[in-house]
Amino acid sequence: MAKTFKGRTLLPGELKGEALVSKQAFNTSASYLENMFAGRTDSAPCTDSANKELYGKDMAGKILCTTQTVGSTMGAGCIMGMNDLKVGFTAMLFSAHIDSIAAGGLFMDDIWNGRRIFTIDLLGDEFLEAVKTGDPISIHEDGTVEVG
Amino acid sequence: MQGLGPDGKPTGQKATYTGASQWDAKPGAAPHQMTLTREEQDILDGKEGEEKAKLMKIVVAYGNAFGAEKLVALGGAPHSNMYVGTEYMRSMIAMFDECAEAGLKAYAPYTVNPRPYDLYNVNNNVEDMEQIYEGYKLQRELDWVHARLGAPDLNFRSCACYLDEIGNAPEPGTYVAWAESSAVNFGNSALGIRTNRNGAGMDLLSAILGKAPLFGLMTDDGRRAKWLVEVKTTNEPDWGAVGTGIGTKVVEDVPYITGLEKYFEGGKVTADNLHLLKAMGSATAASGAVGLYHVEGVTPDAREKGRDLLVEGYQTYVIDDAEQARIIKTFPNLWPEKDADPTAAFIGCPHNSYFEIVKYGRLITEALDKAGKKEAAIPIYMFCVNPVKRRLVADEGELSSKMTQAGVRVTNMCAVSYAGMKGVAERTRGITNSAKTRTYSNFRYLPDDILVEAIVMGKIPS
Repeated sequence: MAKTFKGRTLLPGELKGEALVSKQAFNTSASYLENMFAGRTDSAPCTDSANKELYGKDMAGKILCTTQTVGSTMGAGCIMGMNDLKVGFTAMLFSAHIDSIAAGGLFMDDIWNGRRIFTIDLLGDEFLEAVKTGDPISIHEDGTVEVG
Repeated sequence: MQGLGPDGKPTGQKATYTGASQWDAKPGAAPHQMTLTREEQDILDGKEGEEKAKLMKIVVAYGNAFGAEKLVALGGAPHSNMYVGTEYMRSMIAMFDECAEAGLKAYAPYTVNPRPYDLYNVNNNVEDMEQIYEGYKLQRELDWVHARLGAPDLNFRSCACYLDEIGNAPEPGTYVAWAESSAVNFGNSALGIRTNRNGAGMDLLSAILGKAPLFGLMTDDGRRAKWLVEVKTTNEPDWGAVGTGIGTKVVEDVPYITGLEKYFEGGKVTADNLHLLKAMGSATAASGAVGLYHVEGVTPDAREKGRDLLVEGYQTYVIDDAEQARIIKTFPNLWPEKDADPTAAFIGCPHNSYFEIVKYGRLITEALDKAGKKEAAIPIYMFCVNPVKRRLVADEGELSSKMTQAGVRVTNMCAVSYAGMKGVAERTRGITNSAKTRTYSNFRYLPDDILVEAIVMGKIPS
């Protein structure tokens, strides 16, 4: 049975996809090193060894569910660039308030390039407790997220 | 209020990267809308061109997400972390190329992070060159964008833009919109400037507009500390380990750190000690998202306001010898051949100051003398901006010569980029004393004395 959560819509849209969950803050730059510096474009294996949940998993095309993003300020360019390489997330769902690095990358790509990664924040701790990697997720324009 | 509720206590909201949050942001609430001046509204409406209108739209949307009440004029000089001309940067480079083509420019000459390679001193071999020309195909376009938007020549590329040899150190209280996590962290904390942790692109975009939304670490409330960190190590702390511990613990919150004043004579941050804060701060920013820290009796805000910076209900974190040892034990050995010997040493992430390059040059050459050797067992890469390298040659010619003989390559490139470069990452068993390089690569972290011994002997002491 699906569980429903309500957040704040920053970049609205309707989408169904598969969850990729990082209960710890997601370190964007540390996670995309192979794509950023090693020329990989066919997939996006997580390169952040400190993230036991995601290390080695392919992140391309997934819906990221996490608390916040952390790490280098290259993260904004990274979000925009991964979208350009077609290995980015289709949506980013934050249990807490969005951070400035992720927000910068997401708004730049949306407004300048017209490429939208659906984004909702303030979904609450319960959301992150409920969602598991691989869960089907439905995202709605009004900030509603259905898990399962 | 920024990060604090109406009662003056922390709201518990996190995830802003700024140490603060819009306290009343709630799911389903009406979207926040900042107030714009007539001039700003005109830009948004396209009266100064389509490109500038889009830039303004991005900045306003970004500020609204954080509850900014208005935009503020920026001063000093910008710093950009857009330095990598790899394929993933294509759309961002194209965005700023369009701006440059439209005749737009930053409000002041600005500094930029170091380039990701150095064909003269490090990558002067066919294997690396092949990787570089395939991997960094857009470097020329990126450099050309920066040249047109107002960056100085490549000799001044550095993540440590605040060093005397570069000179981007705005006065305390100046609003800027910097990117580069370590520069933001050092600028807010040691210089007392006011900037949020801007993502790559937002730095340059704000620099072109000369405006940034006022929120978070740019405000008095946003600069208050939610953590008291007491450093109680018996000896001088391992600055990188302490920074890693703080970043992991407080994530994005502002820490107020005690126990460090004795390492800064007269409470002053100088060219001879700023590397301590650089090492600690960059580690807090790499392991967490710390954009500002206060050091009791040392950093400008702490010297002015003291413990009044602590919010009501702050949390406490103690770093003693046991905690420092625990932090270091969490650093994994990511080498595929875990017990093999190291093959390269990296020193200088963020870029070395002049004091550091002389210090490590002496430590290494003196250790070699003691061991009866002229050349180190493994190559040593020391990273710094070109004017620091020139100063080393000019002022310490004999040391510089011995360093070259020892196998030291002094380079102005970015350490993290090289550590992660395709081919290098696979074939190198790297060692470093930089907690930041450790976070972003498979390099092993060693304290200074053990690092020097490993450099001389080619083995990591047990």
